[in-house]
Amino acid sequence: MYRQILIGGEAGQGIAKAAEILGKAFVREGFYVFNYRDYPSLIRGGHNFNVLAISDEPIMSHEFEGHDIVIALNDDTVVKHAAEMKDNAVIFAPNRVNAEKKISVDTDAIIKELNVPRIMENTILIAAAWKYFGMPFESLEKTIREELKGNEAAVKAARKGYDAVDAGHAIDEHPERKPRYFISGSQAVALGAIASGLDLYIAYPMTPATPVLHYLAALQTKYDYQAIQLENEIAVANAALGASYAGAMTMIGTSGGGFALMGEAMSMQGMSEVPLVAYLAMRNAPSTGIPTYTGQGDLKMAVNIGHGEYPKVVVAPGDPREAFERTIEAFYLAYKYRVLSIIVSDKHLAESTYTIDEFSPRVNPSRNIIDVVPSDYKSYEITETGVSPRAVPGQADVPVRATSYEHDEYGYTREEGEWAIKMNDKRFRKVKYMAEEIARLEPVSVYGEGNNVIVSWGSTKGAIMDAIKRLKGWKFVQVSYVEPFPVDQFKDAVKDAERIVLVENDVTGLLGQIIAEKTGIMIDERVLRYDARPLTPEYIIRRL
Amino acid sequence: MCAMTPNDLNTPAPITWCPGCGNFGILTASKMAIAELINEGFAQRKDFVITADIGCGAKIYDYINVNGFYGLHGRTIPPAVGIKLANPELKVIAYGGDGGLLNEGISHLIHAARYNSDITVVLHNNQVFALTTGQATATTEHGFKGKSTPLGTFEEPLNPIALTLEAGATFVAREFAYDVAHLKETLKAAIKHKGFSLVEVLQPCVSFHDTTQYFREHVYRLEEDGHDPRNFEAALKRAREWNYDLNPDAGVPTGVFYVSEDRMSYEEGWPSVRKGPFWKRKRERDWQEIVSLYGVE
Repeated sequence: MYRQILIGGEAGQGIAKAAEILGKAFVREGFYVFNYRDYPSLIRGGHNFNVLAISDEPIMSHEFEGHDIVIALNDDTVVKHAAEMKDNAVIFAPNRVNAEKKISVDTDAIIKELNVPRIMENTILIAAAWKYFGMPFESLEKTIREELKGNEAAVKAARKGYDAVDAGHAIDEHPERKPRYFISGSQAVALGAIASGLDLYIAYPMTPATPVLHYLAALQTKYDYQAIQLENEIAVANAALGASYAGAMTMIGTSGGGFALMGEAMSMQGMSEVPLVAYLAMRNAPSTGIPTYTGQGDLKMAVNIGHGEYPKVVVAPGDPREAFERTIEAFYLAYKYRVLSIIVSDKHLAESTYTIDEFSPRVNPSRNIIDVVPSDYKSYEITETGVSPRAVPGQADVPVRATSYEHDEYGYTREEGEWAIKMNDKRFRKVKYMAEEIARLEPVSVYGEGNNVIVSWGSTKGAIMDAIKRLKGWKFVQVSYVEPFPVDQFKDAVKDAERIVLVENDVTGLLGQIIAEKTGIMIDERVLRYDARPLTPEYIIRRL
Repeated sequence: MCAMTPNDLNTPAPITWCPGCGNFGILTASKMAIAELINEGFAQRKDFVITADIGCGAKIYDYINVNGFYGLHGRTIPPAVGIKLANPELKVIAYGGDGGLLNEGISHLIHAARYNSDITVVLHNNQVFALTTGQATATTEHGFKGKSTPLGTFEEPLNPIALTLEAGATFVAREFAYDVAHLKETLKAAIKHKGFSLVEVLQPCVSFHDTTQYFREHVYRLEEDGHDPRNFEAALKRAREWNYDLNPDAGVPTGVFYVSEDRMSYEEGWPSVRKGPFWKRKRERDWQEIVSLYGVE
């Protein structure tokens, strides 16, 4: 069973909120819902739309083909999306919108009668669509109360919309109702950070990383941490290093342009070994690119951020479940090994909402601050694992140092070659221990069975998972840890493959380049999408 | 417990400043100020953190035996702000030069003053990039001919006193590096001040910008000239008396231009920061309760 609803209108007409409410109501009824959000970089006007993919089985992508219902808040939505409709599909729209196959809802009359703001047209129309699919009003009502914080006028408006149409196209298959989660990648990253013991989130707004700042700001009082916006990304990264040095569990977040500005500070992380977690939400690039659309073009920037050589962790979740769990792992590894952990997401994962059955974090992060500071404490003590015991300033009457210069064990500046060798060796000794640990964190996942293999990473997971369900003989190998690269696990996952196809949302196949560098495996067959739109199952299947 | 002396704050690191460098005055006054504040019971040694960026003055990180964060060029302030947010009990002193604070990292100076972050910024102002062998900075006087400016500079020097006053700093002072006694007292007052404090130190660079004689002849003390540091407009007027050109007719005011305790500090504005050092807190958050925020039943 599969149904697809498109909701479109201008920015400011409540398109995204309407989709969220309708999607959540379907989840409440036991369906799996994937909610794709498409919007231009503006605040009023333009064309915004969401696509809700609804199924009785897990679904993590949308098709852009075959809408069952289009909810059109304006004429533009009809013009742009009528051709994508199924033959028996209908358009729900206010009287003013011109369309064939239209089920008109007299929103003007309802708004006038109830004396509610015009933005409630969205609520009226989703209620009409809800009725059309034969769904019970009560679950929509409950969802509206949750999402609009007890707005009773909205509930009344929804009731009017619900009563205005007939159940024309009831969904017969009704899955069992089960408690699930309806959550976006951004929300999952934010919750993962909180669960990790976050003390400070420091950021500067940039799409599509901003939602994490918003969610964390909204929850800071409840969970007793702070979300702080500083003057620019350079301040953010350097302040975060200071905060983490002084003992706070600290995370920063930005998109590609902001991360480029943070590069020098990321390099300082490498030298100073101050633990830090960075959230990188990619968007279409280079440069300003297409700011509110997606892309995976920053993978190698993440792997190579900052001048010089230093160990780091780059982890790329593929859905909100992974976003939550991998964020916790990022904290765990950063604070255990005193390294930079970069969580790489993108607009598609960050701003799409998924239905998740369960979460199951594998690790429990800790500050890893030593209980007793020896009187001869060395901030950069050379140890077998390369990890120096961590103390913080103010803890004991022994100076704690962090430095951007090459240094000795106490953190004093040293320019002798001997110290450069000792400290580089110390820093890179961590990699072996991190890699062993990462090997236990499922750095490579294999889904499905077959001799043909799709290799990919990050948010493309959704479209690929839905594609291989319809393909025979294909499996999907997902790389989640890109640095340190899980060489053995990857080789093992592709060893019997007859065909290997690289699927990425970028121009040059960045993961493919990294695989070639790390494993010697050259992947010649590639499906690369770089129109700033996310991959869909159809897009992949047609090109295999 | 024995009284702490400035020499107790020495480190084994060899000092690499040029003989006669103004930075020696800043180092001596800093160690004296910290030792006296410890002896007076204001704080313990473990509570002091210094941050530095990159430049000659920044080498002070290696020379004072307290907690230290040796950051990137122009970035002495952001880590200081971050340290203070993570642990508001720490006394944070951010050392930086005119190049780092007024060229590369000027946004941080303006914003930290605006936030009223409770840190002390010590501006080593030698009016030149010294560690890179003598280029003009934002405070270099008109007509300075350096290796990167053989035609002579013609830009207007920036006035960090007037700038930080306008930006919202609540303690603004200027001292002369060779007047260690006054510098020490002003540093102590700045460190004790709750809110953002700037101490500009006029610091001759004996190798690339030797202003020793000029300052010896032109500095005067504000407190001896009837200045009221509680009067913001008077402070701005005094700030504008000298424009950083080495004008033979100018008097160069030193001492405290402005002090105000009226504004809340940045750290006081954050409820979770106010509760004290984060590192002491046990976090026992239940992840299942957290994900339930997006649960649908």
